[in-house]
Amino acid sequence: MAPKPHRVLLERMSGYADEAAAYMRRRRVARRPFARLYYPNGRSSDQADDSTAGAELFVAAGRLIELAGKRPKE
Amino acid sequence: MTVIQEARARDTVGIFTDMADATATEVAPGDGAEAALAFLTEMSPDLRGAAILDSAGTVLAAAGEGERWAEDAATLFGVADGAGPEPVEQVHVATEQGEVFALRHAGLAAVAVTDRFALASLMFFDMRATLRELAKEG
Repeated sequence: MAPKPHRVLLERMSGYADEAAAYMRRRRVARRPFARLYYPNGRSSDQADDSTAGAELFVAAGRLIELAGKRPKE
Repeated sequence: MTVIQEARARDTVGIFTDMADATATEVAPGDGAEAALAFLTEMSPDLRGAAILDSAGTVLAAAGEGERWAEDAATLFGVADGAGPEPVEQVHVATEQGEVFALRHAGLAAVAVTDRFALASLMFFDMRATLRELAKEG
């Protein structure tokens, strides 16, 4: 017997939600710290964290993060 | 003159006048900048803190200590500009503790700190819109 139409729709939506959740999990695990610069001509450049500029960018960013502090919980 | 004032006199003006978008915008610190910062805060749920600066590196509005925002923003832009052949337009640094976005637009600059995994395209879009509106008012 063929499944009821609304069940097909629900299963499909559930499948999309699972895919999206899996994507977000992979992104959180895979994403490493990075420093990226963008120029007016559209060019961008990644700065390795073991390069001088990269390390300095992480230090400068760290100071700003410390300054901003934690976001108050709502 | 304090060390910070010396550093700002030496570096900051140069850093901010080297803006990628070189047209300086004169915006006085005050309600307009504060409203723009409030708008940015409202638009960006991941935002922890931010500052808006003018072309000379003066803080127009900031969440917290204005002088430290000015100093740290100048440092960030200084390092970023020194890493390449030309002044940067945008900076995005993602760390384990949070993410930092910095943008120059319309002769102004904005620096924002967010939680991890904030969407960069949306964040830069909101920052750019905020600066554009503020520049129009100025």
